[in-house]
Amino acid sequence: MSEHNGEGVIIKIGGPVLDVEFEGEAPRVRDLLISADGKHMEVAANASPGVVRCIALEATDGMRCGTLVKNTGHSIRVPVGEAVLGRVVDVLGRPIDELGPIEAPVSEIYRKPPAFTSLTPVTEFFETGIKVIDLLTPYSRGGKIGLFGGAGVGKTTLIMELIYNIANHHGGYSVFAGVGERSREGNELINDMRESGAISKTALAFGQMNEPPGSRMRVAATGLTMAEYFRDVMHKDVLLFIDNIYRYVQAGNEVSALLGRMPSAVGYQPTLSSELGELEERITSTKDGSITSVQAIYVPADDITDPAPATIFSHLDATTVLSRQVSEAGIYPAVSPLESNSRILDPAIVGKEHYEVAGLVQTCLHRYQELRDIIAILGMEELSPEDRKIVARARRIQLFCSQPFFVAENFTGMQGRYVTMEDTVKSFGAIVGGEVDDLPEQAFFMVGNIDEAHQKAKEMQ
Amino acid sequence: MKKPILRVAPPYDESEIRSITQGFEALFGKKLDFEVVPDESLLGGFVARIGNRVFDASLSLSPFREDKVLSARDMDFLEDEEQQLESVSDFLRRRIEQADLSPDIYESGSVKSCADGIVQIDGLPHSRYGELLSFEGGIVGLALDLRLDGVGAVLLGGESVLPGTQVRGTGHVADICVGEELLGRVIDPIGRALDGKALNATQFRPIECPSPSIMHRAAVNTPLETGILAVDSMIPIGRGQRELIIGDRQTGKTSIALSAILNQKGKGVLCVYCAVGQKASSVAGVVHTLEQAGALSNTVVVSASAADSAAMQYIAPYAACSIAEHFMLQGRDVLIVYDDLSKHAVAYRAMSLLLRRPSGREAYPGDVFYLHSRLLERAAKLSPALGGGSMTALPIVETLAGDISAYIPTNIISITDGQIYLESELFNAGVRPAINVGLSVSRVGRSAQTKAMKQVSGSLRLSVAQYRDMAVFAQFGADIDAATAQMLRDGERLTELLKQPQEELLSLSRQVCLLLAAEHGVFSETPVAEVLHRRTALLSVLAAEEGSTLRAIDSSGTLTQAQQDSLVACMERFKARKDGEGDAADA
Repeated sequence: MSEHNGEGVIIKIGGPVLDVEFEGEAPRVRDLLISADGKHMEVAANASPGVVRCIALEATDGMRCGTLVKNTGHSIRVPVGEAVLGRVVDVLGRPIDELGPIEAPVSEIYRKPPAFTSLTPVTEFFETGIKVIDLLTPYSRGGKIGLFGGAGVGKTTLIMELIYNIANHHGGYSVFAGVGERSREGNELINDMRESGAISKTALAFGQMNEPPGSRMRVAATGLTMAEYFRDVMHKDVLLFIDNIYRYVQAGNEVSALLGRMPSAVGYQPTLSSELGELEERITSTKDGSITSVQAIYVPADDITDPAPATIFSHLDATTVLSRQVSEAGIYPAVSPLESNSRILDPAIVGKEHYEVAGLVQTCLHRYQELRDIIAILGMEELSPEDRKIVARARRIQLFCSQPFFVAENFTGMQGRYVTMEDTVKSFGAIVGGEVDDLPEQAFFMVGNIDEAHQKAKEMQ
Repeated sequence: MKKPILRVAPPYDESEIRSITQGFEALFGKKLDFEVVPDESLLGGFVARIGNRVFDASLSLSPFREDKVLSARDMDFLEDEEQQLESVSDFLRRRIEQADLSPDIYESGSVKSCADGIVQIDGLPHSRYGELLSFEGGIVGLALDLRLDGVGAVLLGGESVLPGTQVRGTGHVADICVGEELLGRVIDPIGRALDGKALNATQFRPIECPSPSIMHRAAVNTPLETGILAVDSMIPIGRGQRELIIGDRQTGKTSIALSAILNQKGKGVLCVYCAVGQKASSVAGVVHTLEQAGALSNTVVVSASAADSAAMQYIAPYAACSIAEHFMLQGRDVLIVYDDLSKHAVAYRAMSLLLRRPSGREAYPGDVFYLHSRLLERAAKLSPALGGGSMTALPIVETLAGDISAYIPTNIISITDGQIYLESELFNAGVRPAINVGLSVSRVGRSAQTKAMKQVSGSLRLSVAQYRDMAVFAQFGADIDAATAQMLRDGERLTELLKQPQEELLSLSRQVCLLLAAEHGVFSETPVAEVLHRRTALLSVLAAEEGSTLRAIDSSGTLTQAQQDSLVACMERFKARKDGEGDAADA
């Protein structure tokens, strides 16, 4: 780096935010600084002439005022290209998998979203093999998919199953960004991918929940930058998994107050929507290639109106909402059929039959929900025969929405199932059409397609 | 700069003062105009204060030396001056012949203000973030806000300090004594014994340590048996897992954690029990229980009671975690219980608000998630390269009116690898442990179960959850098919079977037997009210007739077909007998 970048000295430390005073030219916002004891920090603001306010990318415990700081003169740079496939990096792009250094071109993690003229709309259906998702919230190639859910309703399991089903059969490149989630899960994901061999086509970036906010704030951009390179330079179709995008907002919230900003609604940073827009607008498909992204979104306190998930909603093409009520009933994946939706659930894209079956299923479930109160007060006997039929079918649909997962074999003791779109539509069609009213309810629980339900019913008798 | 002060023990004469002054002037390279104060309390020698630096060459015990933990350990930046000061200390040695005393040099600040345990300090420019500060009189503080000209700190003791009180840095970030000496002891979060016995620890560890990285971990695959059938069969806990125990007050949260600790006796797992914001009497009760059961000798109890300051409660779990971490790094298996983290969050909220940090949801500060995530991420199963030790964490969270979707509970649920949810409704209905199976999960799941348990527990959890759901639906008087009716009958008995008295801990073999019995319908004819009674009878019959099989299962953790057949045969015989005969065998 050129000489004029100069040296500064730490003059204030308050948790993960530091003030650094530079004698000569002050660094620009987003420059990466390194202290004499090897800690990295990123410039967030110019606090006063010569003084910059920085966010630490590593824990600040034991740091002292007076420590010298060097400006690298550039923002965070991460390795990109094929050399990162099969590798695991941290927010700064340093390998953390103990497989030696990564020889690759580097790219700064701050980039502009693609130009308006290069964007392409999404119109192609994309099979996941998960019944309830393919039917009610079909995903699109090159689209942005959100998995919403409170704590412990199965977001990570679902994202793992999607990785298993899609990434393993997808053939293209995948990028996984672990943002503020459990280190144990990161470890398991890496081991699983190594076992299945999928890791050779996947790049992973981790800034998990044990890391300071600076790291969790930037690691999504680290992963995204790798995906963008595959799209823009290598013209590939890329899968980008982000678990969990809410943690990105949360990390920003943690440092926001310390940066001197006034808190906004529910204590969030005032820059919430611009911070999100800046990242989300880069995750898109262009004429060069596509990024299909699956993002898990944590819903704090099960409150879907919380400013963070509410802001993320508008960026997505398909939203799958996982609900606690469904998971309480032991139905996994705990997809809430009435709250989830997709932009491509359109007869022109998914076909007329799929569209109609999905509509009938939703109507049936909706009617059951309305009837629930009546049942609770008056009992089943008071319902009209027609309504009773609807209740019976709705309960079968609810149970049929469950599906054994490959990644949850350890947990359910059942082998995973992949159900093709055709089978899914046919099976749900059979239930709403009243073809299987005579099968016992339990036959629909934890099975693949409708043939399996028939078979299970036989076994039960 | 403030006028330098020289406190000297009388008697002294002008020539001595002059010679000291000259020594310092040579050191600092400038003229110093000391204000000389006679001070009898020094006993002999002098104390010079120049700017922030204090040169203590007196015979009196420094006000800071009371606490042995707090000696300056690595104030490397002062070393050069120590050498330059040779001339002054030479002078001192000549003057006080009997004392082989090297001067104590340190940076000193003075308290500017103190309110609600938050102290603003002038000086101490070289403090480190998270450093322990020592106040005159032995009070300890924690530096949390560093500026070039001063420090913001919290007091760890409940006492307040007066403006003008002298403060010195200890040169090391907050740490805690660790090691074998602590087993069987009760200490506070800064390492002071609370059980009235002397504590001579030699090893220390910072209370904040980075957690094991992704690659330093290994898969959780060894069970940590709690001795509770409902937990071990449906919500299994593995060594290195973090399993939350959550529920309203008085639903038996602490008893589950205590059972888990008691069940580790003789299994080589060390335990740490960390009480945060609890009544001191509850902690005493826990210690008593452990002592009675002979489990205290492999347990460390760390307590910051409700009377301790918010800052003390804030550091307690981190300190306890460091103690456990030390054992883990030695390759041991450790179980740590945090009782409870909702009080910890409240203490941190109090501290943050007093530090004037902005608040968010429920007035908690923005980083309340990181508060718990960095703590709980330190619990892990280490890779073989790091010794293969493990730390299993059982944090406890108290909910209000059963609301697990409140802010702190959901935060912690999203950190842990599962939760055991206790419900007061179940508790009052006599289901104890009052575990709501539908809402309880273990994400590590069956990979952390022994083969034997895996064989018999199957999809028990799902069927119990399904039963609960169906039972509610059946109340509406819906027409139910035969399969469903059978499921309801089995479910009722299963629920009964999962009840377990608090003082009873079931070994693996006995748990396996009970589940086998349920699977083979041993209790299907028994009236619901008598299931508990029959199950006890069955266990004693099995112990008498199949004792060697049970021991084999316990030691190997597997269940062969032959063993299963012989157990089932014994159960069939038991089932064939009438109740009275079963009791006869019992007697």
